[in-house]
Amino acid sequence: MTSVDAPQRTGTPVRPDRPRPVARMTINLVVAAAFLWAGLTVDVDLGQLVEAPATFVRILGLMFLPPDLGDLVPSLAAMQESVQIAWIGTLIGALFSLPLGFVAAKNVGDRVTSNTVRQVLNGIRAVPELVLAIALIPLAGLGPFSGTLAIGIHSIGTLGKLTSEVIEGIDAGPLEAATATGASRLASMRWGVLPQVMPEVIAFWLYRFEINIRASAILGVVGAGGIGGLLSDFVTYRRWDRAGTAIIVVIGVTILIDLISGAIRRRIIAGPQGDVDPGSDVDLGVHGPTPDGSDERRDPRGVLPE
Amino acid sequence: MILVWVGLFVAITWLSASERFGIGFSLPELIDNFQRAERIVAQFLDPEWDVFFASRIVDAFLETLQMAIIGAVIGCSLALVFAFLASRVSAPGTGAFVAGKAVLNLLRAIPDVMYALVFVALVGIGALPGILALILFNIGVVAKLLSETVDGVDLGPIEAAHAAGASQLQAIRTGIFPQVLPNYIAYSLYTFELNLRASAVLGFVGAGGIGEVIDVFRNAFEYERVAIVIIQIFLIVFVVETVSIALRRRLV
Repeated sequence: MTSVDAPQRTGTPVRPDRPRPVARMTINLVVAAAFLWAGLTVDVDLGQLVEAPATFVRILGLMFLPPDLGDLVPSLAAMQESVQIAWIGTLIGALFSLPLGFVAAKNVGDRVTSNTVRQVLNGIRAVPELVLAIALIPLAGLGPFSGTLAIGIHSIGTLGKLTSEVIEGIDAGPLEAATATGASRLASMRWGVLPQVMPEVIAFWLYRFEINIRASAILGVVGAGGIGGLLSDFVTYRRWDRAGTAIIVVIGVTILIDLISGAIRRRIIAGPQGDVDPGSDVDLGVHGPTPDGSDERRDPRGVLPE
Repeated sequence: MILVWVGLFVAITWLSASERFGIGFSLPELIDNFQRAERIVAQFLDPEWDVFFASRIVDAFLETLQMAIIGAVIGCSLALVFAFLASRVSAPGTGAFVAGKAVLNLLRAIPDVMYALVFVALVGIGALPGILALILFNIGVVAKLLSETVDGVDLGPIEAAHAAGASQLQAIRTGIFPQVLPNYIAYSLYTFELNLRASAVLGFVGAGGIGEVIDVFRNAFEYERVAIVIIQIFLIVFVVETVSIALRRRLV
């Protein structure tokens, strides 16, 4: 672990920012006011809140002490469906978002098209998967097919945006070189841009897959397939022991896939040696998240659920 | 080696898409369905604009807003504790660090709606289970992001604090917290944004907010009204996101 090494200090020390008491006060006041308003007006029965902890402990006991492991197989089967929904959904997203990402990137597409496509991608992103699933169920029927389409469509929005951002950050040299040799537009994209962005883009696909697992685990509550439907039934019929098993399966499989996918992502980004210096300034896309304004950080290591 | 990966990829995809072992993905069926669902599509494409400001919808959106605020404030505050536990730089010991990380991974592995589902069963329907779900969800998001920021802080101020005899808590307070404060505010804004989007769907399981209204309309097959609410969610998320991004750009 290199993280405990003292940082190197070179050149003039950076002076810390002068505290701005007025700004801080404003933020605190706004947050406090909003919280007070929401807390005082929200429709919550305080009696509920008082009883909650005791019920909570009791039900947790019913769920996990012990969980009904006889139900492990159906839960695993339902979770398998969720994983499949996430997988195919991510593939749909990847397939459509790659060309859209190129068109949406400011530095390779023309301005009008890139702006339009970016707005469309933003629009897709704004609608949650579950809402999409609800809209799709009449078209694609109850079941995993609707869920897959919902996840796929939402992923087009998120992945398209990320892809275009990666493309906007490329080194222009290879692109210029390809153009200078008389390459067609398509050929210069293929040889000047694609090789530069592919590792990061694939890392984002995997990262999206991890997020989509979480999304597909709940699609079942509206009837769009996966383990959510099972869990929803267990909870409705107060079969806490079975619900406990289903939750254990969700947690286990999600963490397992996170680990595998995370390892592959690091391998893709860092190369076979895998020795990314965590302190280096080179943006490998695996550093700590830096919310530079984009809602999904260029950080396939940190998991942002949405 | 490449061949093995490609083979694995094709096999997983084929199995997942197949009718027998997977989700049964078929384009012809979709096209067929599209034709049959013509009426519903027509309903969707002809939103009922009159209900745009209906009090029932506005009230539900207000509840969504209240839930998002309460969830974010409480969740982000609690996240501070977990974030400092889950970074080697600030954790008081290896045991606390391992435990903190483990709790965070566990928290993040459960989707928001699943929390809501369980809380609805525990405390009954309404805004409360939604708020509780958002709190847990927010702890997971903010603590994860913030702990990674803490990993990367300048260690100088912490050493200085310890050298001056500060306790671990005092060192965190004076040596780390000021360094990560801008990030913390940015992450908190980001979770507020996420909450608005999330609380739109929490209502599907009875946990309050605008989702409940969508669910009612959907069950009554009033898709022209569902369309209106979707448009409104879209607009609100879009505006909040734009403002939040502008604020976050200035912060970090």
